[in-house]
Amino acid sequence: MLGWFSLVLVAVIMLWLYAIRRSPGATSEARARQVQKRWIIWGGLVLPITSMAVILAFGIPAGHRMLPLPLDEGEVLRINVTAHQWWWEVYYPESDITLKDELHIPAGVPLDLHLTSADVIHSFWVPRLGGKLDMLPGRTNVLRLHADEPGTYRGQCAEFCGTQHAHMKFTVTAHSPEDYQTWLRQEASDE
Amino acid sequence: MMKPSPFHPLNLVLGLIIWALWFVLLYGGLSVGCAFAPPGAEAGAWTWINAVSLALALFVSGYLLVCAYGCWKASPPSHAVEVEPIKTFTSKTSAAVYLVSALASLALGLPGILLPPCV
Amino acid sequence: MSNLPDQANCEREERLEHVWANLPGWGALAAVNHTSVGLRFMATGMVFFLIGGVLAMLIRTQLALPEQEIIGASVYNQIFTMHGTVMMFLFAIPVLEGAAMYLVPKMLGTRDLVFPRLSALGYYCYLFGGVIILSSLVFEIAPDAGWFMYTPLSSHTYSPGPGSDFWLLGITFVEISAISAGVELVVSILRTRANGMSLNKMPIFCWYILAMALMIVFGFPPLILGSVLLELERAAGFVFFETVGGGDPLLWQHLFWLFGHPEVYIIFLPAAGIVSTLIPVFARHPLVGYRWIVLGIITMGFISFGLWVHHMFTVGIPQMAQAFFSVASMLVAIPTAIQIFAWLATLWQGKVVYHLPMLWIIGFLVVFVCGGLTGVMLALVPFNWQVHDTHFVVAHMHYVLVGGMLFPLIAGFYYWLPHVSGRMPSDKMGRWGFWLFFGGFNVTFLLMHLTGLLGMPRRIYTYEAGLGWDWLNLVSSIGGFIMAIGVAVIIVDIVLHFRFGRRAEQNPWCADTLEWAIPMPVNAYNFSSLPNITTRHPMWENPELIESIAAGEHGLAEVQNVRRDIYGSDAVTGKVREVVHLPTNSWLPLLTAVVLAVVCISLLIKAYPVALAAALLALVLVLRWGWDNCAHPRAAPVREDDPVDPPLHSRTCDGPGLWGMVVSLMANGTLYVSLLFGWFYLWTAAPQWSSPEQGRVALIPMAMSGVLLSLAVMIYRNAVAGLRKGQADGLTLKLWAAAALGLVHWCVLIWILQTSELQPTELAHDAVLMVALYYLLLHSGLAVIFTILQALRVKLGYVGPELPYEPVVIQPFWVYTFGVFWLSFAAFLLLPMAWGA
Repeated sequence: MLGWFSLVLVAVIMLWLYAIRRSPGATSEARARQVQKRWIIWGGLVLPITSMAVILAFGIPAGHRMLPLPLDEGEVLRINVTAHQWWWEVYYPESDITLKDELHIPAGVPLDLHLTSADVIHSFWVPRLGGKLDMLPGRTNVLRLHADEPGTYRGQCAEFCGTQHAHMKFTVTAHSPEDYQTWLRQEASDE
Repeated sequence: MMKPSPFHPLNLVLGLIIWALWFVLLYGGLSVGCAFAPPGAEAGAWTWINAVSLALALFVSGYLLVCAYGCWKASPPSHAVEVEPIKTFTSKTSAAVYLVSALASLALGLPGILLPPCV
Repeated sequence: MSNLPDQANCEREERLEHVWANLPGWGALAAVNHTSVGLRFMATGMVFFLIGGVLAMLIRTQLALPEQEIIGASVYNQIFTMHGTVMMFLFAIPVLEGAAMYLVPKMLGTRDLVFPRLSALGYYCYLFGGVIILSSLVFEIAPDAGWFMYTPLSSHTYSPGPGSDFWLLGITFVEISAISAGVELVVSILRTRANGMSLNKMPIFCWYILAMALMIVFGFPPLILGSVLLELERAAGFVFFETVGGGDPLLWQHLFWLFGHPEVYIIFLPAAGIVSTLIPVFARHPLVGYRWIVLGIITMGFISFGLWVHHMFTVGIPQMAQAFFSVASMLVAIPTAIQIFAWLATLWQGKVVYHLPMLWIIGFLVVFVCGGLTGVMLALVPFNWQVHDTHFVVAHMHYVLVGGMLFPLIAGFYYWLPHVSGRMPSDKMGRWGFWLFFGGFNVTFLLMHLTGLLGMPRRIYTYEAGLGWDWLNLVSSIGGFIMAIGVAVIIVDIVLHFRFGRRAEQNPWCADTLEWAIPMPVNAYNFSSLPNITTRHPMWENPELIESIAAGEHGLAEVQNVRRDIYGSDAVTGKVREVVHLPTNSWLPLLTAVVLAVVCISLLIKAYPVALAAALLALVLVLRWGWDNCAHPRAAPVREDDPVDPPLHSRTCDGPGLWGMVVSLMANGTLYVSLLFGWFYLWTAAPQWSSPEQGRVALIPMAMSGVLLSLAVMIYRNAVAGLRKGQADGLTLKLWAAAALGLVHWCVLIWILQTSELQPTELAHDAVLMVALYYLLLHSGLAVIFTILQALRVKLGYVGPELPYEPVVIQPFWVYTFGVFWLSFAAFLLLPMAWGA
């Protein structure tokens, strides 16, 4: 997408500069009209419409995969995240674990984060794991998250939420499924 | 529906007004439909909401195409000098506006082919 | 008309000057002339631009290095909020309105805008509102919730200080000026063109301004409503955006962006109009695809209202709904592309002469196309989820706004400078300014796309080192300062040119539009006589117009009865229909604006009785202002020698006043529809919506009150129908009867409001209902007052069968009041009952 758009940008600018430099010469009225119409129809209609069709054809399926649709088999792991000014409360309903500013997830499986806020609007975002979703007081939004690789990811509030917005961060630790089970047992026994 | 003369300047905006109303109807109707009778997410794009919105999209853009054709045909040939240029201007531009509105109305219905309505 | 001898012509022009000039000395504050007001708008806007620019420099200083604490979080939040607010509301829109006000009458071949006192009022509201907003910065209590003021962050609980109040009240105050300019420009473009300037011969710039003005009329009311509701929530505890009680913070976002997205196009359209005006002039070739461009303008005007949710893709709206907005956001690229390629084709066909303004046009193209392309990317939902609220969006937005607005604006400044000063800008220094600005801009913002893709959210006052953002931010800050130097060079250049610039000859760029037929620097009355127009390029095809206009060979060359006269023309064909007499210099706009500023300030310091008193005083002033119209001795009293063909506009039934009323009611209606939208939105979407078990408003009295209103409207319409036929039988009686019935209706409404058990601080349902009732009350009250005044004017002889103008103007207001009453009755009272809610 970036490449195609850069190409369009450069091409349009080049054409303009050429059009400015170019001397028109003598052409008949009818010929001139034809040329004009061609520019507007090809550049003004055909170019944007085909570009849009192409990016929609890629974009809509990509968006589809991010929806919290029911899986073909099994239940999706659910974690509740509640944002506060300026920290994150993470709760695992199945194992009754509560964490602050950190999130532990199994890698390689999709999970649903149920996002809400206790005060103002925040936005949940882990840049390397996918799109962001706003957290609104009184509503719950569901974000489908999928970490392919185990590792540590940085997350940050993306919707401006007051004085300490810049410091409202958290870490996501994606464990391999076995490590995740170990971690779960450990946390549960600590409680 | 009552139709103004193809030379009336109202035609310059009427097509897009219809588009705007269609947009409001589509967006509002979707919200209300999903609030009161939401089809399940499993159904994917094969739901009554998608069907209705597609059918309406076809209807609205069809109607706008008819209007576009009407305006285009009514405009006198451009070499007829004795016609007031403002009339040619209005009717031809209006025809284009109707055409654009028809395409835009159709485009609004297209997501209904692919997407589940309420997720 | 024959050629007058020079001496006589000079005397004639002196008489024109005498009638049209501003008052001397401090009296200039009473000026209503569009040239003066337009220039004031632009000069004030430039001052705000510099202030906004300084704020931007502070932001870039704070972000230059990681983990800095130069400014601190709380001041930083005020600064970025104010940077956005100042640039959007106090710079971009007013400057373009000012440019439009200055240019439109000159391009249309007339002498002033059609409601001159309204221009002056708009200017003072803008000035005072801007000063009030900025004063908060001086006291360090500026709004700090971001320039789009999302609730609940901006609500009383999370922003207890007065910052948000400054924003809400100040911006609403400033918006009075936007709406008044919008109404005025629409009516002026449609009704006061030169004789024969049919729509297809209108300069393309005026098409752009017409679209912009109509978009202002429909685009600003949602924000005004949102601001009023939020201020009510903050000050009086009404529930609109709090989830508890049935409000919804998302309603604010909808109302804000319902304004906010069209606003981008409100800014872009006039700037594109400048491009479309300049390119043909420098290409020495008529604009290619005039009709295509008109199509693009109309399409853009509409489709840009269907994009607002693309600012809200991450709030959790169903994906199919998002897809509509995604599609619409991409569709808007088509009219833009049509324009870009029409300009390209014009350059292709023409032989381009290369001057400084062209440089800025090329800068515009590069920057704007880049911004437009990232815009199409942002319209794609999954991509949007990734980069929304990051510095990628910051970069995109600056590319679109600076590229789409500032570059053409500066091109326009250079182009029209000789018109104001009579001197040419310097080419050399101007080039330095351009390259510094253009280079600095791209250094700042091109890399910022990458900063955003690397995950830097917007609106953070600092960041950790080592995330890969350090060098990018440093480079952006350096670029920002280069850009600032560029701005300084441009300002110095423009200031110096007033002193040292080469004297400009008439029509220095060989342009095709009428504003260049005016002697430079401009006089107070523009055209010494009003020409007939037979072509789209009058100055190319009839260059002798310069002499013939000055010699008084065309229309309205002679001043009559010390009046400011212009032609009123048919909206489509541009044929002259009437002579419009305009009001002269007046202190009332300034006084009204001062009193409105008192309203604003007393609301801020919560002195509500003072605010109420000042609001009433403002109403009195506005009515006083309306008193000097039509056949009033200070306007155009009936005389023996009144022109008959065409007649004076105040003797007709379809004058500009009626058009102004209808356009204002469109804005008003949009406000009302926004309220209806809020009602239905909360009803269907608010998470905790609840409606009281029993109706809170007495239904039968309400219906009876409505019947009284309907009767009043019927009688009023009957009176006007008689007037249109030239009959005056029982006119006074009918007017009094309509007023009396309206008054009873109004009293019943008051009683209903008094006895209702509305609890607006508990339930959103009741809060919306209460706002609706007050809205009805306001309209009915105004209709009654207007009608009483009309009855008095009949008695004084200002209104009558020969002078039917004013009652005709007020009739739509009655009909509107009637319409919103019954619509409210159905939507707010009957529908919930029928639904069994």
